This record gives sequence, structure tokens and C-alpha cells, in this order.
Amino acid sequence: MHLFLVLALAAQMPALTPRDSAFHALNRLAYGARPGEVDSVARFGVMKWIERQLDADHVSDSHLAQREREFKILSYDRGDLAGRYRDATRERQRLQREAAATGDSTRIRDAHPMQEFRELGGELQQLAIVRAALSERQLHEIMVDFWTNHFNVFVGKGADRFLLPSYIEETIRPRALGRFDELLIATAESPAMMFYLDNAQSVAPGSTPPRPLRSLFARRRFGMNEMPEDRRRRPTGINENYARELLELHTLGVDGGYTQQDIIEVARIFTGWSIEPPDRGAGFVFRDWAHDRGTKRVFGLTFDDDGKDEGIRLLKFLANQHATMHHVSAKLCARFVADEPPDGCIDAAVAAWQKTHGDIRAVLRAIFTSPDFWTPQATRSKVKTPLEFVVSALRATAIEPDDTPRFAQLVARLGEPLYQQPAPTGYAETEAHWVNSGALLARMNAAMAIAKDCSSIPAIEDHAQLVETIDRQLLAGSMSAHTKSVILEQLADVTDPMQARALAVGLALGGPDFQKQ
Amino acid sequence: MTISRRVFVKSGGLALVSLGLDPLFLARAAFASGRPAVRPSDRPTLVCLFQRGAVDGLNMIVPHGEPAYYQERPRIAVPADSVVDLDGHFGLHPSLAPLKELWDNKSLAAIHAIGSPDATRSHFDAQDYMETGTPGVKSTGDGWANRYCQHDREHADTPFRAVAFGPQLPRILAGSAPSLAIDDLQAFGLRVPQEAARDRLTRAFEELYDGAGTGLLASSSREGFEAVQMLKRADPTQYRPANGADYPPGRLGKTLLQIAQLIKADVGLEIAFADCGGWDTHVNQGSSDGQLAARLRELGLALAAFNRDLGDRMRNVVVLTMSEFGRTIRENGNSGTDHGHATAMLALGGPVNGGRVLGRWPGLALEQRFEGRDVAVTTDFRDLFGEILARHLGATDLGTVFPGYTPSAARFLGVVRG
Repeated sequence: MHLFLVLALAAQMPALTPRDSAFHALNRLAYGARPGEVDSVARFGVMKWIERQLDADHVSDSHLAQREREFKILSYDRGDLAGRYRDATRERQRLQREAAATGDSTRIRDAHPMQEFRELGGELQQLAIVRAALSERQLHEIMVDFWTNHFNVFVGKGADRFLLPSYIEETIRPRALGRFDELLIATAESPAMMFYLDNAQSVAPGSTPPRPLRSLFARRRFGMNEMPEDRRRRPTGINENYARELLELHTLGVDGGYTQQDIIEVARIFTGWSIEPPDRGAGFVFRDWAHDRGTKRVFGLTFDDDGKDEGIRLLKFLANQHATMHHVSAKLCARFVADEPPDGCIDAAVAAWQKTHGDIRAVLRAIFTSPDFWTPQATRSKVKTPLEFVVSALRATAIEPDDTPRFAQLVARLGEPLYQQPAPTGYAETEAHWVNSGALLARMNAAMAIAKDCSSIPAIEDHAQLVETIDRQLLAGSMSAHTKSVILEQLADVTDPMQARALAVGLALGGPDFQKQ
Repeated sequence: MTISRRVFVKSGGLALVSLGLDPLFLARAAFASGRPAVRPSDRPTLVCLFQRGAVDGLNMIVPHGEPAYYQERPRIAVPADSVVDLDGHFGLHPSLAPLKELWDNKSLAAIHAIGSPDATRSHFDAQDYMETGTPGVKSTGDGWANRYCQHDREHADTPFRAVAFGPQLPRILAGSAPSLAIDDLQAFGLRVPQEAARDRLTRAFEELYDGAGTGLLASSSREGFEAVQMLKRADPTQYRPANGADYPPGRLGKTLLQIAQLIKADVGLEIAFADCGGWDTHVNQGSSDGQLAARLRELGLALAAFNRDLGDRMRNVVVLTMSEFGRTIRENGNSGTDHGHATAMLALGGPVNGGRVLGRWPGLALEQRFEGRDVAVTTDFRDLFGEILARHLGATDLGTVFPGYTPSAARFLGVVRG
């Protein structure tokens, strides 16, 4: 079957040489090529390499595993983090009370009870950079980023400061190449999402917690500082936020043909999907007493007092609706093929989805074997997002990111602070969102900063040879004649070879050719 | 005032040459415009200051004529004798005394009981709603200020049309229309310490992108380099505030100084945005003095300095403060206030129909409150923002700026002079 596809493709893509194809695949299924990788993938066979990437579990990733050990965030589970968060909040409250009594608020500023969480947030971001740059399972990392944005959670919102790490590790990462319905259900059952989209406080109108729980609910609901006064107030009705975003963003899409009444019915189905207080580990919990037991009718289905199973049934239904398949497939094609993807690859993805009931690997395979993916117009046509730009520069220059947050900060400065998108849309994929004058200047500065660290390219004295080497290693030989001549011109009076290398690499990374993938 | 484009280009150009700016850019801007051109110094500018953290509107614009205010806030109410009285019922917090002069000359208005129709008390959600201009809808991708720039592209040709001061573009300016985030005017551009080396590198990148042909990369890079050039000639390091204006130390003063500088440089600034934080006063808020008083003092001094610095140029400038919601009417157990609903905003500048507290005052009695505890919202913030966009900046299609909402002139408060 795959051999057939390879042959079929070979006939359809006369314009792309094996090296072009390898470079294209590395640009889209990976965060760019490392030195020598275009040639090795071309030799190995690009379709075979794609199959290996789809089968990520069998790709060994020992170097990354070793680097991951430096990140202490990975040694804490949700319960540890919840406990630390609770202690930090209590400490801050104590300092606040003290400040109120003494009228001196300098101590609370100096003590920074929440400092540890800021640092852990920085660690989490840098970990994402390290994984994206070093993992051998590149397609897996790309899909982790894709789903992290598709099922966005904002780390800055209250309890999500400590819920996000387990969301990434336990909800997204293990399912990034799995089945869509399982991923969808996992996000719905994640405390991070239930908190972020306010479902944690969605209760059937008129419902009251059983007596032993009442004081807990009334006084310190989630130990979060986002709405301190609300801790004293019990939620009193349904909250539609999760229901709305579930339909609009996670599944059917904004044109998916649902109404406001549908949103309300869906919200009723999800009443009771909540989280435990931090003292109890802040895990997901289904609160029976908060669930709306009445009859709910939506999308031709009837849900009748079936507790948590109602939500599971609805999620499974939504996961395989045509609107969902089309919406998510179009987003995948925008990521892998073109900002405005042709219908052909979307249709191929939808067909594979239908056939396999949402096997993400099968959907991706359909995109990667679609002729639209391999047209010469599709290559080097998408502008890199800030994350893709920085990580591809690190890979191309063979700079190994350390465990300090500096490269994550660079990505933030270019406009994409990881996990810090407040809107549930996640970060955008298209060029219009990332290309503006200030952002481009920032990319040029970032390029010059990265170039200073680049020692993988020899400091060749002959400028023409230096530029050829840079072209080969950074751009797989696709550097435009114009770029070459401008760089050579700039090098004309630079005599120090180290200086020449830094300047030439900086101009190549910051120039227009490297912005595209 | 309308003048022919030729004359405009000529005189505008000359005026700019004297400032050291490139007339070429203006020629482009003038010809790009479908409407009669205005002189650059006559272009209207809107400056938005976001008081992140939810400012206590009741202690900013004090309802000192309301007995309930004093009953509910035994420790933090601003005593009637220290309030700067405005109209016998409301008064400025004493820290805002530097603004009284603007009230007296009718260029400062306060808007009370303004806010969002959405009931959220989450900073994050409420800020989002105020910036996207779509309360209750979380998935709106762009901000209302950006959508204004999208639908009205009259002066789309300057890179400085919409500028946010800060390291990142805020939600309010996010979207497909070009907008700049500038952390510091003096450091905008390529970061190379030596000027000669910086110029050289800038030229090199400019040339690289010149060859990039068409498309967004090419046009955005051109705008970027144009901005760098314009700024270089305007020489922000040499800027001295006019009329003895004295900006207070701190981020806000520095930002307003840089906005004044951009306005005077006639680079086409239409919307400027800046954040000022520190308003989330849950604990130990203070009354005439204390935490909130210190924040308000900085705000008052910075706004007064900005007004003085711009002098005559304030005739085309409106400064608008905004905050995601107000705070509880009743003080809490920590001598602070918790998250509430409606708050107060300030509008100042030549076009402002000032000397009045605008908006219907709902009162503070229990039955007049929102959910029994907060100041009720009587003005949807979109009615205020919409009026300023329409009557000050000349927006023609508010429906696209605030989707799902139809701002109506009938609901405008009359904050901009007719």
C-alpha cells in the first residue's frame, strides 16, 4: 500500500527533487532541518521517514529523555503542585492580613509568595523549546503544539497556574497522535480545561451541595486568587463558556450550524463536571448534586438523567460529526499545507477521518500523501510562527538550548509567549497574525542574537564559500541570489572570520528566506 | 479644514522637513487617502490607558453627596472635606487635584457607572471582553481598536497609526491591521549599541527584504524600516517636554511622554495604547492617602504633564482611561474592596465636552445595586468607545468594530463636542 503511494506520488511531483521533498517534509513535519538532515532523509526516503514519524512510539529519543531530567517541573505531579500553590496562596493571604493590620505592604512585595510559580512557568516554556528542538519524534512535538493551541488553556488564570503542567504532560502529550475522540474526552475531563472555561462552577440552578461539602464550597472553593470574594459565594447556575467553546472551537466550528439554545443544552449536560479543591489534589470530579437531571435535547439526541455519561456520549457524538471532521481537518491542512489550504487535502483528511473514526495518524497520513502537500507552490510558502522561527534557527545552527528560559523569552518577545494566550482560540497559524513591522524587526534582532552562538558553521575566510556553506546548512540550498549578493556585499570589508560568520548567519536567519517554511 | 492634496503635500512636507522627517511618506499617505487630506497636525489621536486590575471608580470619582458611600466604607471612604468637589455630588480623589484645572476649562469629563453587560468578576475575562469589544464572547480573535483600523484604512500607510507601548501587542490592538508594539521609542529598531554599526545593519536588512518582492513580508518590513528612519530623524533621545511639563517618575510618565513625542512628530499616530497597573486593591486600599491614592497621584500628575506638554496639540487629542470592572460598594474585612461591576472612566482633551460627570447615576441603595453589592452598569462601555471612534476619529461603520452590537447615536453620552 505505501509503496504504491510512493510510486503514485513520484509520478505526481516531478518538480520536487528528493532533496526538495526532504526539506519540505522537515519544514512541515518537523521544526526544520538539522545540519545534514536533508541529505539523510532524502537518502532514507522521504515517505519512509514520514511513516517513521507517524509511528513516533518506535522512534528512540534517549538524548531528549536525558535532557528532560534537568527539568524539576516534571518531577512534580498535580497533587504536589496543588499543595505548593495552596501553601503559597495561604502565605500571601497571611502577608496580606499582616499588611492590613500594620499598614505596611512592603513585606508582601518583597516576600513574593508566588515567585516559585512564576519560575515553574518559565521552566515549562523552556521545556517546550528543548523538546521541539531536540526530540527525534518531531511530528509528535508539532502535534503537541497543534493540540495545545486547539485545546488552549491560559496558564495565567488562577488555578491553571498549577494545573497546566499536568494538562500538557498527561492530557495532551500522550494523545497527540492518538484518536480525536479520546483526546477530546481527556481535555473535557481535565481540571485545567474545566477551570479555564469556567465549567468547574457550572451547576444546575437551584442545586445545593450536600451539607458536609457546603462550607467547603462556600468558603474557599478553588484556592484561587482570581476572584477572591467569590470564594465566599456559591455558584448558582449554569455557565455556558465551556459549552460554547466546545462547539465553536474544539469540535463543530463557528459555522457548524448550532444555536444558542444548543449551547444552553450542552452546558446543562456538563453541569457537575468540576474540580476538587487544591487540598484534595485539584483533580477532576463529577459532582452529582450539581448535575442538571432534567431532559436535555440537542442535535436530535435526548439526554435524560444519565449523570456523567451524558457528557461522554455527547463528546463521542461531536467528535465524529462531519462539521467537526471538516473544521479540524481544515485547521490541520492550514498547519501542514497552506494558510488557505486547497479543498483536495481537506477532503482527503475528512475521508480518512470518516474511515478510521478519527485516528489522527490516518488523517495526517492522508494529508501528507495528498498531491496538494507536494506541489511546488506549497513549499517555502508558509511564514513560520515565532516558535517555529526560533526552534528552526536553533536546529539549523545546531545550538542546543539549555534549561534557562532565554529561548522561551525570545519566542515571547516575538509575540508568542507559550501557554500565555488568554483567548481559547490558541495562537494563530496564519501569516497575517505574525507578520508586522515591529515583529519583523524583533525577528532580525533574535536572528543576530542566535547567530552569535552559532559555532557549527566553520569560520571560513573565503566569503563566497562561507555564504555557500550557510546556504546549504540553513536553507538546504534555497537561498535566493539576491540574499546571497546582499550578504556578500555586507561582508566585503569584514576581515575577522568570526565576525563575518556571525554577520552572515544573522543576515541569513533574519532575512526573508528563513522566515518561510 | 480641507486643503488640496498638492498644497498639503507641499506644506506638510515642508513642515516635516523642519522636523527632520521624510516628506515622501506623507506624499504616499496623502495619495492613499480617498478623502480630502487633513494636515498631519490636525489628525485626531486617541490615547487609551487601561487601568488593569479594576480601579475603584467610587474612590476615583467620589460620590460624596451619597450617604450610603460613607456608611458602606467606614475606613476607606474619602472624607467629604478632602474631596475635590466637581458638581456638589461628585468629586475627584484628592490625588487627582492636578486635573481640576482641566475640569474647569471643560476639557475633562468623568463617566460614571460604566462597564460591561457581562457579569464576570474575573480580571482575565473582563479585560478580554473590554479589549475585544465583545462581552460574553471569548473566541473573538482581534481587538476593537484593530478592527477600527481594518475597516477604515484612510491612513493605513503609516507604521505608527496604531501603537501599543509595552513589550507585546495587547488584545485591543491584535488583528490583521498593522500595529506596532513599542517597548521604548529610544530602543526601537535593531539592537546594536554603536550607531554606525546599527545603521549599517539596518540598511543590510532593508536591502535583503527589498528583494523579497511583494506580499506581507515585503510590505511589513518596508513599514518597519520606514518607522526606524522616521524615529531616527525625530531623534527621541533629544526630546524635551514643552511648557515646563514635568512627568512623574515611573513607567506611566515615561510612556505618556513618548506618546506626546510621537504626536508632535506628526508620524500619523491615530491610536496609542498603554497599560497602567496596580489597581487591584483587595487589601489596605487607603482613603485620601495610601495605596490607591499613590496610584491615582501618579495618574493625575502624568495626565496633567501630558496635557501641558502637548499644549495646543491637545485640540485633536482625546485621552480615555478604562478598567475592566469596578469594586464592591462595601469595604471588605481587609480595608480593601473586592471585584465589583460598574466603574468610572475619564476622558480628557480638546474635543471632550468636559466639566460634566456623564452617564446615568444608578445610586448606591441596596435595591439600586447590581446583585445587591455592586454599582450597576448604566452605560455599556461600547457606547462610550463607539462615540469616541465615530465623533472623534470619524469611524463610519461601528457595526464592524463592535460585532453583534449596534451602537446608536441615541445612546451616546455626548462626551465629544458636537
